[in-house]
Amino acid sequence: MTPAGPAVTLRRVTKSFPIADGRQLPVLDVEHLELAAASCMVITGRSGSGKTTLLNLVAGVSVPTGGTIVVHGTEITALPESQRDRFRSEQIGYVFQTFNLLPAFSALENVMLAMMFARTIPRRQQRARASALLGRLGLGARLAHRPAQLSRGEQQRVAIARALANDPPLILADEPCSSLDASTAREVLAVFLAVCRGEGKALLIVSHDEVVLGTGDRLLDMADVNTPAGEGA
Amino acid sequence: MTLFTVAWRYLQGRFLTSVLTTVSVGLGVGLVIATVLLTRGIREGFIEGATDYNLIVGAKGSQTQLVLNVIFRMDAPTPNIPVGVYENLRGDPRVEVAVPVAMGDAYQGFRYVATTEAYFSPFPWRRRAPALSAGRFFRSDAPGKPDYDAVLGADVARRTGLKLDDRFFEGEEMTAYPLTVVGVLRSTGSADDRAIFISLASYWEMNEISRKATVKPLTAVLVRLKRLSDLPALHRGWNIAPDIQAALPTAVLLSIFNLLSLVEDLLLIVLGVVVIVVGLYVFVTMYNAALERRREIATMRALGARRITILAIVLLESCAVAALGGLAGILGGHGAAYLGAHLLAGRGGPITHVFTVSALQPVTFGAVVVLGALAGLLPAVFAYRTEVAENLAPL
Repeated sequence: MTPAGPAVTLRRVTKSFPIADGRQLPVLDVEHLELAAASCMVITGRSGSGKTTLLNLVAGVSVPTGGTIVVHGTEITALPESQRDRFRSEQIGYVFQTFNLLPAFSALENVMLAMMFARTIPRRQQRARASALLGRLGLGARLAHRPAQLSRGEQQRVAIARALANDPPLILADEPCSSLDASTAREVLAVFLAVCRGEGKALLIVSHDEVVLGTGDRLLDMADVNTPAGEGA
Repeated sequence: MTLFTVAWRYLQGRFLTSVLTTVSVGLGVGLVIATVLLTRGIREGFIEGATDYNLIVGAKGSQTQLVLNVIFRMDAPTPNIPVGVYENLRGDPRVEVAVPVAMGDAYQGFRYVATTEAYFSPFPWRRRAPALSAGRFFRSDAPGKPDYDAVLGADVARRTGLKLDDRFFEGEEMTAYPLTVVGVLRSTGSADDRAIFISLASYWEMNEISRKATVKPLTAVLVRLKRLSDLPALHRGWNIAPDIQAALPTAVLLSIFNLLSLVEDLLLIVLGVVVIVVGLYVFVTMYNAALERRREIATMRALGARRITILAIVLLESCAVAALGGLAGILGGHGAAYLGAHLLAGRGGPITHVFTVSALQPVTFGAVVVLGALAGLLPAVFAYRTEVAENLAPL
């Protein structure tokens, strides 16, 4: 069931990184950004425009310098780290640019790993659910294969299954097709979008890939969203 | 899937490193176990061999030499004493048992020990009396009428291949005095395993000097008293004599143990260094693993793993390596101790009760796991502190 209200809301979110001499380098300044529930937003922009930083903030793996981020009614910027970790494991799925599969684990185990961290799926059901997810993504015969034994397209599909493992209402994807050739990218993206839309997930994709740009309900350029003030004290 | 499964997969993922780390832990633990078992076995061997009798009466000289030679067949033989000393002691009302011993030549390197049947008697106070695996003991023959019967220690029978009723001698001059095997002793893990026991009468006839001597010679007399309260007086009395001394085996044992404890202290230092080196090796291995795995750790964190979960996985890995190495080391250490004891006993060293199950095994295992956890703690903290956003990006 899709939660009521927007999936993600950012208000006056800033992020800066410390540089030499105690100065700060501002990289993100978003006045207001909202992602509606069960919708798909694609954010594009040149390299270094703060796309990945934005995703990391929404995922709660980074903390903003200022402002608030609300995900499905929970202000994650107000949560202590351990609660943020738990919230992320249960409410957010993350698809990485280079898949980030763990090489020592099989495709099935990579998906089950996400369930182990979240503890929302009972342990006895985890294997069956992971198998079913991989099956839906066309990897039913590749469950026991390790990432090195899979093609890049298959690896990304395992990563998608892992992001969906705990049935989170929000999926974040960072350049999900940039490591794939055009035809594989189209194929993987189609499966990804079909599964997410079929299950009413909210999708926030950052990409500058032509294949991805036309797929969302809304397309934003980072330059229109992010207006950092320049280096400050 | 559990945290242990994750830790185990990581160990499998770097199979060679995991095996080498486990082997190094196993070698360290094995060395500790083998050393402890062997030193304990040597102490037990000395105690078992030297505490049945209260006094050893022999020729004046080094007391340690007398005890080592008579009980353990080590060190050079002491000069002879007249058989009258034995007769005197046997007639002493304070003495419960007096056993004469004469150390003679050797057959294929195995020393002849001439004594009486009393040497084999299972007195209730004996820790372990010699028992036969085949044949019979020899009889205490009358002087001048020897039977030339021999009872072989277990090692002698095994190494020389001599069997019951076999006749044997060594050297042309001994052809007239062939000995006959009448019995073979069970192995006791003591110097008796490497001795050939004959009667005093046989010994005196086989030796040219004693054959002609009117006063027959002995090497020593083992003495057991009826009451320990008589020990000081008897000890003092025999030590007044100009050519005879009475040695207290327990006092000699103490000086041997003092020497041994010096060696043990040195071994302890060496073992301490080994433990530190093994601990450092585990630490370096785990640290490198955590370093190489920063991106994977960041990925797990991004998937929702808490910092404490990452810490637990790394600690579980180092504990699993330590536990496996510890188990292998305990088993290997017992194997090494068995071989060491076998070699030492083969050379006449006093060693017994090597495989005693005690607190040593569980305490060692627990200590190794704790050491593994300590060695993995810093790498685990490093993994715990890995920044997610910084390490998620492709390397």
